[in-house]
Amino acid sequence: MTIFLKVGGMLKERVKTDVDEWTRSVETEPGRTLRQVIEELGLKTVHVAMAFVGERLISLSYVPHDGDVITLRPPVQGG
Amino acid sequence: MIKGFGGNQLRIDLTTGELARTPLDERFAREWLGGRSFIAKILYDEVPRDADPLGFENRLVVTPGVMSGNFAPSGSKCCFGAVSPLSNGHGDSTVGGHFGPELKFAGLDLLVFSGIAPKPVYLLIDDAKIELRDAAKYWGLGTMEAEQMLKEDLGEDFEIVAIGPAGENLIAFSCIGHDWGRQAGRCGIGAVMGSKRLKAIAVRGTGKVPIHDLKALRDSTMAIIKRTAKHPNMAPWQKYGTAMFVGWSNQHGVYPTHNFQTTYFEDYAGIDGQPLVDRILVSNKACFGCWMNCGKYSKVSLPGKPTVFVEGPEYETGSLCGGNCGFNTIEQVAYVNWLCDHVGIDTMSGGGFAAFAMECYEKGLITREQLEGHELRWGSIDDFEHFIDMIVHRRGIGEWFARGAKYAAEQIGGGAERLVAQVKGQGMSGYDGRGAPAMLLSYMTADIGAHHNRAWTITMDEDLGKTVIKGKAKVVVYLQHIRPFFDTVSCCRLFWGEVDVTAEEHIDAIKLMTGWSDFTLEEAMRLSDRIWNLNRAHYLERNGGPGRSFDYPNARFYEEAVPSGPGKGARLTMADLDVMLDEYYEARGWGKDGNPSREILADLGLADCAANLQKRGLLGELFAPLPAVRGERYKPKAF
Repeated sequence: MTIFLKVGGMLKERVKTDVDEWTRSVETEPGRTLRQVIEELGLKTVHVAMAFVGERLISLSYVPHDGDVITLRPPVQGG
Repeated sequence: MIKGFGGNQLRIDLTTGELARTPLDERFAREWLGGRSFIAKILYDEVPRDADPLGFENRLVVTPGVMSGNFAPSGSKCCFGAVSPLSNGHGDSTVGGHFGPELKFAGLDLLVFSGIAPKPVYLLIDDAKIELRDAAKYWGLGTMEAEQMLKEDLGEDFEIVAIGPAGENLIAFSCIGHDWGRQAGRCGIGAVMGSKRLKAIAVRGTGKVPIHDLKALRDSTMAIIKRTAKHPNMAPWQKYGTAMFVGWSNQHGVYPTHNFQTTYFEDYAGIDGQPLVDRILVSNKACFGCWMNCGKYSKVSLPGKPTVFVEGPEYETGSLCGGNCGFNTIEQVAYVNWLCDHVGIDTMSGGGFAAFAMECYEKGLITREQLEGHELRWGSIDDFEHFIDMIVHRRGIGEWFARGAKYAAEQIGGGAERLVAQVKGQGMSGYDGRGAPAMLLSYMTADIGAHHNRAWTITMDEDLGKTVIKGKAKVVVYLQHIRPFFDTVSCCRLFWGEVDVTAEEHIDAIKLMTGWSDFTLEEAMRLSDRIWNLNRAHYLERNGGPGRSFDYPNARFYEEAVPSGPGKGARLTMADLDVMLDEYYEARGWGKDGNPSREILADLGLADCAANLQKRGLLGELFAPLPAVRGERYKPKAF
């Protein structure tokens, strides 16, 4: 199945977007968690402070569905 | 007429009441740019080295920078500075909102207050009409009460900054409040304002800031607005603010808990961004000219307490007044946030110093008798409120804490000095450096004492290894140049840090504002380097040396391992700290004693600093070749 990760900032350089400026398509097996997906891309969980499907906040244990557009938010640089 | 600037400076002698409004020199503006750079230069040149920070000879400097009030990425800030009563060195703190732009519209780029008013006053600036007015009716009011009353008296279109009773009573970590809950929080600048019996500044400006190429500036800013509106980081930021990082910080072993005893707070889910949004949020709140609109305006009702409205909580308050003090509901954290804002103390130092006192009470180093019969328990709103009241009114041991927690620790004794999380008297920000060694180095070397504003390194520490000590100092130096640049030009660095507006785009905007076609990022970074060394020289001239002796945190951070949570086992040693400092001083062109060398000062055009340090025997000896470029940008990762 295909899911889409939307990323900005430091995550863009790591994820290597291919759909548009912000978006990377990922082929993955059903049942894998978001944590597993991003780790397979070479990201550490420390690079992802929050994740969203639409406006809904999800955890890294979330199991994506086909066609999901998931926004990954890196940590703020101090607030 | 200087393009991009208001064009004038104002000198206020509070002792005599004399006011002098004169044109701002363009060469000065180009050389020092504004914001914290103006402050550093003026403090160095004008404040005697033995001046009491709360005495007659200190200066209070207020300055919006070149970007404030102009149509550019979040040009909203205003910088306040003085010799800090916490560190006895350069101090500056920046507030967002609307005050800085309003000063620019009134034609002003720089206010310098000297002396002490014979009775409480506030400064009124109504375009070119400038007066010192009696502040008796406002004296004693909280920061937001004073702001409200002044707006009622003067008009809603006035922008106000005000101190609360903490500043009036010279509490060393007092802040300056603005716009219903924003602060110039750090370094105790509110106490300096109070020492001058200056309650508030009220400004209304109806003029325009001359812009070199308004059309091009507008076009480039509109392009940035359109681009960043679609940035994936924007929507989460707008919805949750920085509070959303409480969870992340816990999960990665850097969250200060129970006075930095450990780095994981089991109840963190009750105090992060989600409960804020779900339970207390009223609306978002924006600074002048900012479309990020990330401020949070909240309504809090706790049983037995008045219902209050507060801006926040942000991450720093959510950590230092959250798990660090044992508060486990967002309502408690928000109420504590409001309390600090109301009396006018920095929530970061307020939370950090209160947590230190809580641990002292837990260990029997402070007694109920010393607390006027009260306790000081983790997570008790009543205990916290009473303790803050003791400090604000300088009762009993509140008098010790009023001078800063480092001083209080010395008075308490019994090993208390090991426990207070600070460097150079400034309380640490909401990240425990044992889980992030470069972050601890950032605290150790920041010119204003421990503050993440100068350099934030958490993800870099993760990337290079949380136990890796070597190889990080150059990046800390780079961050100490690029991040304070935004405080120099007075815009919010979050556009650079979070939604990919580059430093080069900020430089381009400044060129369009000013017409300085040859202005470069390299020039801006050299200015940051110059200011850094100027502030170091100033600190040494005031405090003696060697500089290295002041660059260590309290012993907890090099003697204790983190005992629990995801960061369990993390620890640093004194040897680790020394390795980091040696690398840092080499990267800076300083001696191993932490004193700037003649060579670096000459390179930066600070020969007068070198001469002053030499007279005092405080020049450092280079122990490695002077780096041609100081600082190393960390690529391709964060920043």
